[in-house]
Amino acid sequence: MWGRLRRAGVLGINGRNALYTLRWNPRRLYPTVDDKLATKRLCEDAGIPAPRLLAVARYHHELRRLVEELDEMDSFVLKPARGAMGNGIVVVVGHRGGRFVRSGGRELTREGLLYHAAGIISGLYSLAGHSDVAMVEERLEAHPALAALCTEGVADVRVIVYRGYPVMSMTRLPTAASGGRANLHQGAIGAGIDLATGTTQRAILRGQAVEANPDTGAPIVGRAIPEWERVLETAVRATDRTGLGYVGADVVVDAARGPMILEMNARPGLGIQLANGAGLLHRLEAVDDVADLPRPLHERIKLGREIAERTRGAA
Amino acid sequence: MFATKVGVYGLPVRPGDTRGLWQVELRVTVRGDGRQGSVSALLPGPGGGQLVLDERSSADRLSFSIRSRDGVRVGVWQGRLEGVHEIYYQFRVQSGPARVALPEGPQPAPPADVAKAYGRATHEFPSGAPEARDALERLALPGPAAPLDRVRRVFAFVTHEVATTGTAGSDALLTLAQREGSPRGKARLLVTLLRTAGVPARVVRGLALRELAAPDEKVWCEAWIGGGWLPLSPVDGFFGERPADLVALGDGGRELVEATGASAVGYRLRSLRERLRPEEVALLMEPESPILASLSLYKLPVDTQSALRALLLFPLGALLVAFWRNLIGVPTYGTFMPLLVAFALRGFSLGAGLLLVAFVLALGVATRLALERLRLLMVPRLSIMLCVVVLSVAALALAGDAVGVRELFAGVLFPIVILTMLVERFTISVAEEGWREALVPLGWSLLVAVVIYPVFRSARAEHLMFSFPELTFAVIGGLVWIGAYTGYRVSDVLRFRALGAAAIAGERP
Repeated sequence: MWGRLRRAGVLGINGRNALYTLRWNPRRLYPTVDDKLATKRLCEDAGIPAPRLLAVARYHHELRRLVEELDEMDSFVLKPARGAMGNGIVVVVGHRGGRFVRSGGRELTREGLLYHAAGIISGLYSLAGHSDVAMVEERLEAHPALAALCTEGVADVRVIVYRGYPVMSMTRLPTAASGGRANLHQGAIGAGIDLATGTTQRAILRGQAVEANPDTGAPIVGRAIPEWERVLETAVRATDRTGLGYVGADVVVDAARGPMILEMNARPGLGIQLANGAGLLHRLEAVDDVADLPRPLHERIKLGREIAERTRGAA
Repeated sequence: MFATKVGVYGLPVRPGDTRGLWQVELRVTVRGDGRQGSVSALLPGPGGGQLVLDERSSADRLSFSIRSRDGVRVGVWQGRLEGVHEIYYQFRVQSGPARVALPEGPQPAPPADVAKAYGRATHEFPSGAPEARDALERLALPGPAAPLDRVRRVFAFVTHEVATTGTAGSDALLTLAQREGSPRGKARLLVTLLRTAGVPARVVRGLALRELAAPDEKVWCEAWIGGGWLPLSPVDGFFGERPADLVALGDGGRELVEATGASAVGYRLRSLRERLRPEEVALLMEPESPILASLSLYKLPVDTQSALRALLLFPLGALLVAFWRNLIGVPTYGTFMPLLVAFALRGFSLGAGLLLVAFVLALGVATRLALERLRLLMVPRLSIMLCVVVLSVAALALAGDAVGVRELFAGVLFPIVILTMLVERFTISVAEEGWREALVPLGWSLLVAVVIYPVFRSARAEHLMFSFPELTFAVIGGLVWIGAYTGYRVSDVLRFRALGAAAIAGERP
């Protein structure tokens, strides 16, 4: 079995950690991706589109004011700046009788929201339990083509960028079971995207192949990702700015404003291989063959798509 | 180094059969205000089924000498007592069950010196007192032709008809009058009655050695019969056969530790079961090579030794955790959580330990869920859970004491408190990902802990790591190998097996 996986080019956890993240992602650069405020600043400096920051609370005494500000906003997303796996995120879509209405219809009192934000600041959801910052950003409206694929939450597109070359991609579709979160571990659907054409090829739900969204019955395979060229461009531009060599960029295609960087991840998950039915290893090795020469962005994207085409999985 | 120790010096790799071999440490703390003074302590002597293998003493600013009189050895530390002095006295002793052949029929009279020293009336043993004579008369002892039966009759009376109470007095005649006495009172009464009946007898002080706990101080008696001393205890109920793990320290007339010229004195005893045969201990303690001698852990104080014995097992446990996490690929809460849980389980049988962990976890999770309503901030909330965990451990300790398992909680308290963090991680996981996703890493954490548990319990592993601490470098080597392994984990293989199978299918068109 070990030999077969090697031949299929599957990247394992040890291989990813030792050969790629440890080698290409210097520890000192992690904060720019682990801290979403830093990511936002980075995008702003580079003119890369990202959701607007609406409010920030760093200390407990700022929370009263924060909730008052939130009373005035129709919709928003409250999240920890250093959260992981989509934990601690509250999406509010409206107000009803002095309460906040969360996406999915559940209501939240003002006290409840305050307590949640206090938990964020205390570090309840942050990577190492350090105290954190509660940040509020605008809620994006998913592009209709992607919104049609799922009922809950916002679908995003994960692009793995290695040494400046896009190598693999998938769209992550939240389900009722994942509670609106776009995380494969929590029951979101992962649909592998053909880098060359920008259409979904196959999809998995909890490791099993699926053809349609179990919530809606909508077919998932063979769908075109809107503004695909710009999605790849945005992802590669943003990861270029981080200085990291092996990054997962999460891009949301907003209905009005197009592709935007939601966040980036210095230890992207390996489930994307299952969603694509292909291993990462052959593509990473092919990039190593060409990456020593500096090349402009569009040429790198083109090469990345060709490599993906060449090393397409057997499935 | 390992090779030298095993190959050149022939040190054993496995723990030997060392029943009854102990290491005992007496630590005396004495405080003085500048006057000359001395501290004396009863030391173990040879004979009576025990063999003292080696003894060492260290004391700051005091001189040490051993005085021996009438077979009783007393260690004396002398000097100007100023401030606090710490005195250590360590010895290794082999203590087997000592059985004395019970003599039948008439016996020769005891030698004059024994009769003189142990047959006469003293303040402590008022033999010949009217009360003692009355008591013997009522017992209707058989004639001098059957000395063993005489001793046995008196022994049965003191053992069964005089109650043992820790708080009662220790005067022989008072014990007789009240039919109740402390262990010491009963021993004195037995000796008094035996001397009254013409049998030389004496009280012996000693220690009952126990694993994972301080030794118990004990008193028992010896009666001269058939040309030797017969051990008998009216409290612990042995007659003629001294149980194993009992060490005699000498005459019962003295306190274990006495001091003159001191303003305060206190002492503490520690014992540790030895894993090696005596000659091997000697090799490890004083190897021929001075370098090895200076690096031997066997020379350390007993407390430090037992701490190090546990500590040196941690690298082995960590190796197992690394194996499970990086080669098998199981998810666990925290890197070393399984290690600490295994350490917490160490003092218990596996079933009881898991029950205990489950109890603390369940209580912690219940508290955590109850606290959820109060909406407390994280650090105070965690601290409250810590309080509850500590209180529950205290309650369990009380319960354990009530059913007589007092040692249960020695040395496990700290890791149990670590469980607080496990509770927190688990409840957050439950809240965010649901019970199923939270229970999986919990199950694996406990499973890995159960796998590590035998390492912490293994006398062989303990001996190996303690006698050859350089093996830790081998563990480091193993960790380097695991750390440099970039191949697939078992979990990768399971997760991506569909891709592997597809690759094969693709190669065979």
